[in-house]
Amino acid sequence: MTTRCAGFTIVLTVLIAPFDAAAQTLPRPPVLAGCPTENLAFHTCALQKAKTFDPPRTPSGRPDFQGYWRSLLTQSFTVEGVAPDDPLATNPFQPWEAAPPEIVEPADRKIPYQPWAAPLGRRGAHFREYIDPRTTCSTGGIPRLSLQDASQILQPATDDHVLWLHEDHHQFRVIAMAQRPAVGRDVKLWNGISRGRWEGNTLVVETTNLNGYVWMDDSGNFYTDTAHLTERLTMIDADTIHYEVSIEDPAAYTRPWKVAWALVRETERGFELIEESCREGERSLPRLREAGLKFYFGATWKNR
Amino acid sequence: MRLAAPRPMTAAVLVVLASTSAGAQTPALSRTPDGKPNLQGIWQVLNTAAWDLQDHSARLGVPAGQAVVEGNDIPYQPWAVKQKQENFASRATADPETQGYLPGVPRIMYMPFSFQIFQTPTHVAMTFEYAQSVRIIHTNGTPHPRGPINWWLGDSRGRWEGDTLVVDVVHFTNQTWLDRAGNFHSDELHLVERYTMAGPDHINYEVTIEDPRVFTRPWKMSMLLYRRKEPNVRLLDYVPALLMDEEQAARERAKTK
Repeated sequence: MTTRCAGFTIVLTVLIAPFDAAAQTLPRPPVLAGCPTENLAFHTCALQKAKTFDPPRTPSGRPDFQGYWRSLLTQSFTVEGVAPDDPLATNPFQPWEAAPPEIVEPADRKIPYQPWAAPLGRRGAHFREYIDPRTTCSTGGIPRLSLQDASQILQPATDDHVLWLHEDHHQFRVIAMAQRPAVGRDVKLWNGISRGRWEGNTLVVETTNLNGYVWMDDSGNFYTDTAHLTERLTMIDADTIHYEVSIEDPAAYTRPWKVAWALVRETERGFELIEESCREGERSLPRLREAGLKFYFGATWKNR
Repeated sequence: MRLAAPRPMTAAVLVVLASTSAGAQTPALSRTPDGKPNLQGIWQVLNTAAWDLQDHSARLGVPAGQAVVEGNDIPYQPWAVKQKQENFASRATADPETQGYLPGVPRIMYMPFSFQIFQTPTHVAMTFEYAQSVRIIHTNGTPHPRGPINWWLGDSRGRWEGDTLVVDVVHFTNQTWLDRAGNFHSDELHLVERYTMAGPDHINYEVTIEDPRVFTRPWKMSMLLYRRKEPNVRLLDYVPALLMDEEQAARERAKTK
């Protein structure tokens, strides 16, 4: 039973190692689908393109998002962006790449935290004292999930669900398109409860019932369990989706705010999602715990 | 149950079953637009297979249960009988499932948690409440990728034989058990699963288990999957490893207070 254990562990480690790197994101091209690629410029341009692009359709006439996707115009360090002179960008051991903010609203492109919340996120108390929940093999959460690794969208012909499968830690999003009874607010899930609808060619997904145990980036930026997320996916050419998320949380922010990036089609022949087990081969957690870092589970806001 | 001539009671049951199905109007099978049986929905077993695949009396925390294994006999090789017995003795800690790991296939199918099936012409996807597990079954005619590959839930390729979805699964690890009672397999495990609608709200689930390293011959289990019909039913989550961490965090907080 244990004789093949060592060989197995090697296989698993090789499979997992590349995914554990902080940012598995593609390099930013100068132009994407005819749009500039700084996030705000892309967002503005993509909203215009979306008005005229006629997307491929499913047999029932819905925009057809099916296939494999990867994020572009993303980095996982911080949704607020990394300035070239940022100390972490010049860290010789694991330098963060300089990158524009993924935030496209409000105009200052900062998270509109309430005063109590700002010192927790933004490389504050969370970053210093807690283990990034994703490192414990949890979901990246929304929207961080969609910028990790590849994903696959399935649209059953019954039109009652859209299924968004993510390679990252074998996460999935069940998006109910038909009207369903509401779920009580005391039911809280890692990826929440999602309801979808079509607005023209846009798939609009509203998510509530979140447990608030996830971070939005490596910097500890966060929402609580009262968050309400609205994602909007619109094709701007046959291989590019404009992805926008509006984040509302009356407990943590002074106003809603928005991030935007792109999902681009993975066109490698024969590409398939592979199983990305995580906890089963996780080795770094004990070291982080020994270093004194705490589990998060919303500890900083839960009993305020 | 041993292999023997049907006893009078079995025969009586068969007669009753036959007359019911002949008398009742069979509702037409729900189908997807491409004509395949529509397996979509939220499903769950109502049995004790996750604790013990074979006939067993009640144990603390474990309901008594009847075998899902055909004939109640698992044909272990002699060395494997001993291993199974050791597993059983140390199951409280030795079962990999107690670590919150992915429970493997077919065990994920009969964990006492809901799962949801989605179907397109090229894929059947199964999403599970337990451990946020996913099975992606390729029904587009593609073959298994070349191994060796050790995946906790294996690699699944499906095809339709009439109205039955037949799924071939290989590329497993030797790190999962088949139940809490210590029934186990090696990484040479090969499964053939058969999913057949048995009425609008039931799927007959059969799986043939082959593993030349552990068993002397292929063997079979079968069980029913029941449709969850509550009007408000939704797939929720249960992520055991993180629930363990959360308990640990609560203990640490209590200590520092």
